[in-house]
Amino acid sequence: MEIIIEEINRSHKLIGRHKFANKHITIGRGYRNDIIVSDPHICAEHLSVDFDGENWVITDKNSINGSFLGDTKKLAHGHIIRSGDIITLGQSQIRFVFPDHPVPASTTLSPFESLINLARHPLALFISIGLFALVVAWTIFLNNPKEMSFTQLLVPAISMTLMFLLWPALVSLISHLTKHDARVLTQLGVSFIIYNISWVLDFIETVVSFNASSSFVLMPVLTLLPVSLAFCLFWLNCYIGFHMTAKRRAIVAASLTILLFGGSYLIQLSKQPDFTIKPKFNNVLMTPNFVLAPSSDVDSFIQKSNKLFEKADSKIDDE
Amino acid sequence: MKGLISILLLTFSFVSVADEQAEAIFKQLAPSLYQIRIIDKASGEKSTIGSGFQITAQGLIATNYHVISGYARYPQKYTLEYLDHLGNKAPLTLESVDVINDLALVKRQVDEGMPFFNIAENAPTKGEELFSLGNPHDLGMIVVPGTYNGLKQESFNDRIHFTGSVNSGMSGGPVVNKNAEVVGINVATSGNQIGFLVPHDKLKILFEQYQKRAPESIEQQMAQQLKFNQEKLISQLLSNEWHLKELGEALIPTIDVPYIRCWGDSNADKSDALVMVAVANCSLEEDTYIEGNFLTGSIEMEFRYMKSLKLGATKFYRLYQNQIARVMPGNKATKDDVTEFQCQHDLVMPTHQNINNKSIFCVRAYKEFPNLYDALYLGVSIDKDKQALISHFTISGVAKDSVQAFTKQFMESVSWK
Repeated sequence: MEIIIEEINRSHKLIGRHKFANKHITIGRGYRNDIIVSDPHICAEHLSVDFDGENWVITDKNSINGSFLGDTKKLAHGHIIRSGDIITLGQSQIRFVFPDHPVPASTTLSPFESLINLARHPLALFISIGLFALVVAWTIFLNNPKEMSFTQLLVPAISMTLMFLLWPALVSLISHLTKHDARVLTQLGVSFIIYNISWVLDFIETVVSFNASSSFVLMPVLTLLPVSLAFCLFWLNCYIGFHMTAKRRAIVAASLTILLFGGSYLIQLSKQPDFTIKPKFNNVLMTPNFVLAPSSDVDSFIQKSNKLFEKADSKIDDE
Repeated sequence: MKGLISILLLTFSFVSVADEQAEAIFKQLAPSLYQIRIIDKASGEKSTIGSGFQITAQGLIATNYHVISGYARYPQKYTLEYLDHLGNKAPLTLESVDVINDLALVKRQVDEGMPFFNIAENAPTKGEELFSLGNPHDLGMIVVPGTYNGLKQESFNDRIHFTGSVNSGMSGGPVVNKNAEVVGINVATSGNQIGFLVPHDKLKILFEQYQKRAPESIEQQMAQQLKFNQEKLISQLLSNEWHLKELGEALIPTIDVPYIRCWGDSNADKSDALVMVAVANCSLEEDTYIEGNFLTGSIEMEFRYMKSLKLGATKFYRLYQNQIARVMPGNKATKDDVTEFQCQHDLVMPTHQNINNKSIFCVRAYKEFPNLYDALYLGVSIDKDKQALISHFTISGVAKDSVQAFTKQFMESVSWK
């Protein structure tokens, strides 16, 4: 009767897996044991498991900190092992599995994975980072009311790019520290591709908000675009850097997105004054090439303002 | 030499005659002159002072609206009192106001008939000598001689141009002719010997209306006056012809009425400018004062023509966008006076189809005066790559119909050449 014993450290990470064919296995900190665990809370002779011809039974050898079933306070002494049982010793855990324990169906190598690997190709990486820096430089150029030389643009563009580089670097560092594969280049490539997509979405939003009138109801829906893009970024960061279940990945990505947008929304809300004298309106302008919507006439514009007067009147009663 | 001396003597004798007259007038009228004071209840100190004069034997006193505006708006915060020439103080009641002509009637208790000022029947003649009475800077009652210079040109609501020193604190004081009849009320100064007076007929109308029927509520009376005045102004503006004037490559409207005055500026002197800018600004330089920072009744139109000299279209439009974000309303009304602006925008092409604009229109409502609004319009041309025209107006204290009619006229009038 074979048995497989897995060592799990205090952060629930699998650190060793052993297969035994004998009927008596000892576990402890002493070097005489079959499995030597270097947890200081475990006794030299801590525990043994024995096959009695029918079942595997746990014997606690009067250890100081005891042995428990899973995360409960139930003593493990005399417990008959079933496949998949987890026993807690000190700060560590061990898991027992029988050879016929079912394993999940194998996942096929997804084309998605190869797509992600494409992002770490040096050329792709160079293009996406270069493109990002170019767009940054272009935006700085547009917003400066004076003429600017190339070098004047270069410095802020590079420093901005380096700043955005910090995020994928941070994710890689965390995955490295948590004993995962760092995959720095993949993180970089994917993050910058997403950053560039965000430029495109931003452009689309600008075109729509330039063309749409104030009665266009779908405008708030457009603000969901950057939110969903941020979710994609965080999801991909998790996918690349960490082994986690799909559900957990979705939760982590969603929480990061909420933290980012909720946080900035809260900051905005806290800065909002009680009363502003300044009118707030949509001032988005683009060159004549981007005028896509037909213009309305003066009469219908004036007609529409009736609602505005009603809205202003209703604000009197609000306060 | 002889001639010079006689001129000097002549001047001297003239001055002394004027002084004597002033003294006589002052002595005779002193009991009917008052300092009007607004006392802050919480601190017990005066917050505003002005002058006033009695116009009936029963104790009715005329003054400026802006002297008692604090009390008119917040009667629970202030009390109203007078100080007479003997130093007696007693409370006053607010009876009636004319917010447009900056007049107010207050009343004191009298036990017996008292001397009072008569209001003149006729307007003075140009060059006639007048005497302005009042209490400048809390220094005591004084007389200032000066000259009548006719009605102020370029003014929608009549004001007398008076050459003489009207100082702050003299507001609400009477201006009398040699017969001690009231021909005007001190209201404003624009420094160096230029003073403005409310003509006596405005006071007469207010007094006659008051005698017929005293207003039930000052607030309602003010709302009615504001509404009536804006209707008069806007209908006059809309019925007058709007001329088109060139500004760069654009045509902008100007209204042919004397009280709307225009000013212009450009950066044509800057040889290194990236964008050529020419600005024309036309406005009604007259406000109706309500209280504190709350002014109404103004109209301002601004046109800004821009032409890119060295910039590409994309950058030109980006800078153009940053520029229109800075629009502010004309007055500094507070949360107590108005709501926040509500705005709408759309791409709009006028009937002549000569220009395509992104039009932004905002309104806010007055909290105390129902159905009056401040409006702000911004039209930005979006049909030329390297030229732009911003057409903008703000208009305050107007009814919905008037705003809409004015906006329509304005939007239809702006075009390219």
